[in-house]
Amino acid sequence: MRAIYLIARREFLSYVATWGFWLSLASMPMFMALGIGMPILIENSQPTRYYVLVDETGGTLEAALEAQAEASRAEALERAREAAREMFGDLPQIDAALASQPQLSDERYLRVDVGETELEALRPYLTGDASFTSADGEHGLFAAIFLRQGTAGAIEVDYWSANVSDGGLRSQIRNALRDHMQTQYLIDAGVSPDLIETADDLSPNVRELNPERTGDTAEVTAAERIPLIVSAMTAFGLWVIIFSVVNMLLSAMIEEKGNKILEMMLASTRHHEILTGKLLGVAAVSATLLVVWGGIGLLGTFGVQQLAASADMPIAEILAAVLDPGLLLPALGYFIIGYLMYGAVFLAIGSLCETLQDAQTLMSPMMLVMMVPLFLVMMAMDSPDSPVVAIASWVPLWTPFIMLARLPHDIGMVDIIGTSAAMIAFAVFVIWGSGVLFRMGALNQANQDTVKGWFKIGGKKRPAAS
Amino acid sequence: MSETILELSNVSKTFNGKPAVRDVSFGVQRGRITGFLGPNGAGKTTSLRMSLGILTPDSGSVTLFGGKPRPDALDRVGFLPEERGIYRKMKVIDVITFFARLKGVGAAEARKRGLAMLEEFDLPGVAESKVKTLSKGMAQKVQIISTLVHEPEFIILDEPFSGLDPVNQNALEQIVRRQAEAGRTVLFSTHVMEHAERLCDQIVLVAKGRKVFDGSVSQALGEVPRRVTVEVTSDQDVSQLLAGKGEIARGEPVDGNAIWTVDLAPGTDAQDVLKACVDAGVKLARFEPVRAHLHDAFVHLVGSNAAAETETV
Repeated sequence: MRAIYLIARREFLSYVATWGFWLSLASMPMFMALGIGMPILIENSQPTRYYVLVDETGGTLEAALEAQAEASRAEALERAREAAREMFGDLPQIDAALASQPQLSDERYLRVDVGETELEALRPYLTGDASFTSADGEHGLFAAIFLRQGTAGAIEVDYWSANVSDGGLRSQIRNALRDHMQTQYLIDAGVSPDLIETADDLSPNVRELNPERTGDTAEVTAAERIPLIVSAMTAFGLWVIIFSVVNMLLSAMIEEKGNKILEMMLASTRHHEILTGKLLGVAAVSATLLVVWGGIGLLGTFGVQQLAASADMPIAEILAAVLDPGLLLPALGYFIIGYLMYGAVFLAIGSLCETLQDAQTLMSPMMLVMMVPLFLVMMAMDSPDSPVVAIASWVPLWTPFIMLARLPHDIGMVDIIGTSAAMIAFAVFVIWGSGVLFRMGALNQANQDTVKGWFKIGGKKRPAAS
Repeated sequence: MSETILELSNVSKTFNGKPAVRDVSFGVQRGRITGFLGPNGAGKTTSLRMSLGILTPDSGSVTLFGGKPRPDALDRVGFLPEERGIYRKMKVIDVITFFARLKGVGAAEARKRGLAMLEEFDLPGVAESKVKTLSKGMAQKVQIISTLVHEPEFIILDEPFSGLDPVNQNALEQIVRRQAEAGRTVLFSTHVMEHAERLCDQIVLVAKGRKVFDGSVSQALGEVPRRVTVEVTSDQDVSQLLAGKGEIARGEPVDGNAIWTVDLAPGTDAQDVLKACVDAGVKLARFEPVRAHLHDAFVHLVGSNAAAETETV
């Protein structure tokens, strides 16, 4: 035990002392921050676009567009009011405060009047040769839109803009006018505006029901899908962690083999203690990463819960799913077994190789084996009962990932117990076999060619050591 | 009778059908320096690995401190393998402390001993340096310190002189002597006979996986016929004169003088040859009893063993 502890401690400290560890530690929160912050940053960094609208129909279309914009603003106001109510309760001051805000929608396109209605007069504003003054400075025009009535009810739009990439305003105008045209068409055909509005509001009320339940409890809620998503995400997370950690083990082992330290270690302790110490040391590294990332993730989630913007997010349900012992405990078990299986294999590979280049040949088949569950987990999300997924669950190297994704679905106990037993038995076998290989590799009695020889018909064995 | 610290009894080991060690038996006595000699590929490293339980013999038995080479017995052993390496990214003192702690020394004591040994080995001021910043010779000294820091009763060194320059070889010889003077038992393998001749109380000679000799250096030298070289200025037939005193061969003349070499027969010594020459009135320009070296003993013993093996076959 002393040797295992000392080896594990040395491994842990050697990783913690590297830049790579601290970069890994920072990477997850950094990526999370980027993932959340970048879209907001991109959204907020969009400049306000100013445009001129010239309605040559005498104001009919302009009024339709204005009505559409007003509807959007009202919708945004209602969303803000709902969010404020979630945070502060039903206070009359909030309604008053919101009512006094002239701009609550995220209007990126602002209609302006520069005192010109002719294209030639507006052209310098569009090309940047002229500007107009608003409250917040000098601006050019983003677009000039000319609306005119065509024949037989058609509407023609000339959309002038030097910016060809930002099509947001163009879409807004087209959609608003299409709605107007469709409504107008129906009115012209004798349908009353009230009837059209009523028809617009029509939508089926779909209830998803679980046949295993009855009465009011039969209805399937959105929150019930969260465990399925969380378990699949956990399976992916498990894969990422195991993949990163076993690579750490491999590089450390190759370095140790290259530095010719193993024989000196073997004179002080036994090979299984070295193997176990290394596995535990790196497991402690990954546990540290998990604890820090998990802590940051939980803090972040609680933080988000407090924000009005998250009012629509089922944070409580997500947290309940993440912290559900029914998911946490199997995830922990699958992580331990998966880590031991892959870790032992990668340690054995490392002990057979002097350099990372040597390891590439043996790594390639293992990488293929490791990639398969990624696809199968995706498949398991939609079809947990698919024969391919069910059979693949019985492959011990894939069991931890696929079964974790399948667990929240209604799978039989035979599958759960059987695959777990097969996985544990296989893990014991792999650890034993890796121990033997590790011992041979550490003493240079085997190398990557030895393993390659096993897969060749009539392959030659490596010559004996002296 | 002194205590036997390590005993190999009829030990054999085969790799992929090729025998590396064949029926080898020998013992290492407490407080003595034992040399384990043999050419490359003779099975020395395999025998040492079996001595420590790193490898398991196919047949025969190994006894270390009176029992099987278990981890508690290994705590009393310091082993320097032939393929030497060390954690290059660690600090020197941390490496030494780590290996000492693996052998059961407490952290504070290990550090204290490590610092003292760095001074003793003329490596002051490197304790906090990373191993990778040291020269090869310095790194090897750090590894030797790591082998000895837990003050083992039994020190096993596998080819300790290989890769060392003459100055460091001499320094290592001094270290081995000091350890022996401190009452420790030393077993080292080498294929360089000079070190063994200078250091060893006992030598075990192996060739092609078999033991060919086990005894003291003087006993080994006794296996080699003693030789006398005679340079003669007169015309007598020395081969006739010295017939019966050993095997006589004529060498290339030097300055016109005849050169004779006599491999003395058992029971004959150099004085008998000198007396026979003087009595016969042989004019001697040179009379030189040649001292045999372990290298000669090694060549002789390995050669005899090979011949015996061929005859057996």
